[in-house]
Amino acid sequence: MLETAAGDFAWDSAASIAAAITAGRVSATHIVEATLARIRERDPLLNSFTAVTERRALARARALDEARARGKKLPALAGAPFAVKNLFDVAGLPTLAGSKINHDQPPATRDAALIERLEAAGAILVGTLNMGEYAYDFTGENIHDGPSRNPHDLDRMTGGSSGGSGAAVGGGLVPLALGSDTNGSIRVPSSLCGIFGLKPTYGRLTRARTFPFVSSLDHLGPFARTTRDLALAYDAMQGFDPDDPACADRATGPVVPHLDKGIDGLRVAVAGGYFKGKTAEAVAAVDSVASALGANRDIDIPQAERARSAAFIITASEGASLHLDRLRTRAKDYDPAVRDRLIAGAMTPASLTVKAQKFRRWYREEILILFAEVDAILAPATPCTAPLIGQQTFMLDDVELPVRANLGLYTQPISFIGLPVVAVPAPLAPLPIAVQIIAAPWREDVALRIAYALEAKGVVAAPRPAL
Amino acid sequence: MKRKAGRKLKSARAKRPRPTRAAAKARREDSIDALVTANAQALGLALDPAWHDSIAFNLRLILRHAALVDEFALPDDAEPAPVFHA
Repeated sequence: MLETAAGDFAWDSAASIAAAITAGRVSATHIVEATLARIRERDPLLNSFTAVTERRALARARALDEARARGKKLPALAGAPFAVKNLFDVAGLPTLAGSKINHDQPPATRDAALIERLEAAGAILVGTLNMGEYAYDFTGENIHDGPSRNPHDLDRMTGGSSGGSGAAVGGGLVPLALGSDTNGSIRVPSSLCGIFGLKPTYGRLTRARTFPFVSSLDHLGPFARTTRDLALAYDAMQGFDPDDPACADRATGPVVPHLDKGIDGLRVAVAGGYFKGKTAEAVAAVDSVASALGANRDIDIPQAERARSAAFIITASEGASLHLDRLRTRAKDYDPAVRDRLIAGAMTPASLTVKAQKFRRWYREEILILFAEVDAILAPATPCTAPLIGQQTFMLDDVELPVRANLGLYTQPISFIGLPVVAVPAPLAPLPIAVQIIAAPWREDVALRIAYALEAKGVVAAPRPAL
Repeated sequence: MKRKAGRKLKSARAKRPRPTRAAAKARREDSIDALVTANAQALGLALDPAWHDSIAFNLRLILRHAALVDEFALPDDAEPAPVFHA
């Protein structure tokens, strides 16, 4: 086990680090120096970082310590280190989005909006994180930067595409990270790395100054080792932003004040049919969460398989549209697995893509009806625990299926209509797996309250790996 | 008048000799291969021949998913959701 100067703070939450700094028990500079030391020592194993913003982080830490010395009140995330998937703009760095091609882009001139908002709340950016190329990925593998590695078993996948975010938080390098989720890229790594992840309602958090993938499906959100950290980060990042055309102009809904209100009166059901677990681990995780919540009712999410297919088509088609010019000029610089899917997407008839968008509206209306009966729905986050890095197929229900396309089996039909989800880790041995807590649009508070209650009961937790 | 959403009904068809399953599959494979070649030209994509099979595999996969969506009947006034607002 690696020992660092930060001692216990290495595995502390962002909230407890901020509290310690605010109380003067430790300086922000000490926290950042210890974090940088951990990254230097442990990241060669995890391969989660692609850039470390050391000078910037130390400068911000010193400024925070000076502000405290002057008697200034510190904000909620004061001194909490965080890192971002490398599709977020960071001033002075090219925005890689997991690619080789974007290395040739000029450095960003301004941080992504969510970085600005987290830093306004006192958090300190320490670097950018590995990811699947252009976010078209569920594995966490990257042909250019190497795979991010699962902290619970370095031979296994982190899940993707926010693989570095999963590894960095799950591996104790930072208490907080940001990622993106188009079809499951926050929830899949949360599941395989055993951490908490929040994919908010589509349009809730601004995506300004991040590299897109599928505009009509792209979401951003936080990863953490506790529900409270997710809520603190989420509250710090809410708010309308005209720089993102999809960002909703609606009142913010702070969650932190309501986290400990308990779950009395909340109606929770388990997704049946398509979402019934296909492995013992997925079944055990959902059963343990459902049992703790007294959720003994199944609910059918109609046409979920078709919804996944529609998400698949829209992803291929919109993603291809984004990349068409680069595919004409730099096709050989892509990961072949990504390139060939994007080219196939470019060849998808528009009539079928529009039909998928029409189905999407129909499906949304059907699912919203369910939320008149229930406040939250439980479903597995992934069909299985972490596969081995490089593994091409797995067996589900005695059928051999490609890993890359099917890790998002349970996440795609949910993000397809932008519902908010908290992925909560069931600390199974030897590998964790998460459950999705799915709520109605704009009811992140419901999903986070349930996650908080489950965590208080010890039913869900981010297990500490033996790195 | 709105049609109810759901699975399409199979229309009655005049009886005619059915092609063998293998022949039908071969024709589909040929048509996807031709589609990849024609689309690449139309879109101005210079494909390395070594990529062709993988692109065709992915296109087949997309079209299989598309068939599942396509068979679901929607009313003529169904609005697409290209920019989704929850």
